[in-house]
Amino acid sequence: MDFQAIHDRLRAVAAPGLVGADLPRKPDPKVKKDKGRAGDPFVIVEAQRLVEFLEVCRDDDRLKFEQLVDLSATDPAKDDAQLWINVQLLSLKFRHRLAIKCLLPKAAPSMPSTVPVYRASQWHERECAEMFGITFVGHPDPRNILLPDDWVGSPLRKDYEFPKEYHGISCE
Amino acid sequence: MLSLENQFEENVLTTKVDWLINWARLSSIWPMTFGLACCAIEMMAVGAAHHDLDRFGAGAFRASPRQADLMIVAGTVNFKMAERVKRLYDQMPSPKYVIAMGACATGGGPYYKYGYTVVKGVDRVVPVDVYIAGCPPRPEALLEGLMKLQEKIRNSSVIRKPARTA
Repeated sequence: MDFQAIHDRLRAVAAPGLVGADLPRKPDPKVKKDKGRAGDPFVIVEAQRLVEFLEVCRDDDRLKFEQLVDLSATDPAKDDAQLWINVQLLSLKFRHRLAIKCLLPKAAPSMPSTVPVYRASQWHERECAEMFGITFVGHPDPRNILLPDDWVGSPLRKDYEFPKEYHGISCE
Repeated sequence: MLSLENQFEENVLTTKVDWLINWARLSSIWPMTFGLACCAIEMMAVGAAHHDLDRFGAGAFRASPRQADLMIVAGTVNFKMAERVKRLYDQMPSPKYVIAMGACATGGGPYYKYGYTVVKGVDRVVPVDVYIAGCPPRPEALLEGLMKLQEKIRNSSVIRKPARTA
């Protein structure tokens, strides 16, 4: 199925949390400074209901997304109040893909863990947690995956400040 | 040495202790099997047949720091690894030597500005004898570095130099 068909199917089964879809488009010459949008089409989902949404994606007869390819986060800009969660799904049976995005408030980013639906997201969520300071409620193993256990701060946040020293090693 | 001539039987050689000890040390610098990043690929190339580190007596890569004389820090050292590097260095028996191979181990390299977890030079953790430039250095550069280290050992002395009187 192409994106439009997947989106229609999601609407037809009333997938929980589905907000809308965003399609790439060419820049509109009538609008000043319009850059359009490049990239893949994606659906926007409420972060707090992402788990239920993924469950539908996985179990629906016409969708059958068996694989979670990626779960990542984005901090778009310093003055932006929200973080993006990006999820990529793949169906081997139907050979189609789906990109999902969720918005999370930067002030206290927290959402339910998607591990109960896709176990593949365990490591991805751990990385997002340490790099962006996102709390995944219900994660079975919420340790750091790359950074040292006692690391302070979320390095991939745009407002991150570099440490001055770590365990007596100067970073200047 | 003149007074020692013809004092001993045949098959006895006389030499200086410094020379003998240095010769023994520099002829068998056993490195530790230890690679951190892409520089380690070049280090492996140096150990393999084409460049053949064994010609310098330094081809016996030891899997334990307790048997190694030389630590070739081949790659990016981040804070999480730095503590392990220090521990490995502490486990090596003296005399021990360290080569900082490549830009990362020398001074942080391309991660100097934005690498929030990268140590800006392994010399902030362990003392370094020889620095090798390059990203990564050519195998020949590592051989050159090893020869520099041999030169350094050759010029070292077990006897403290007498204090100079003015």
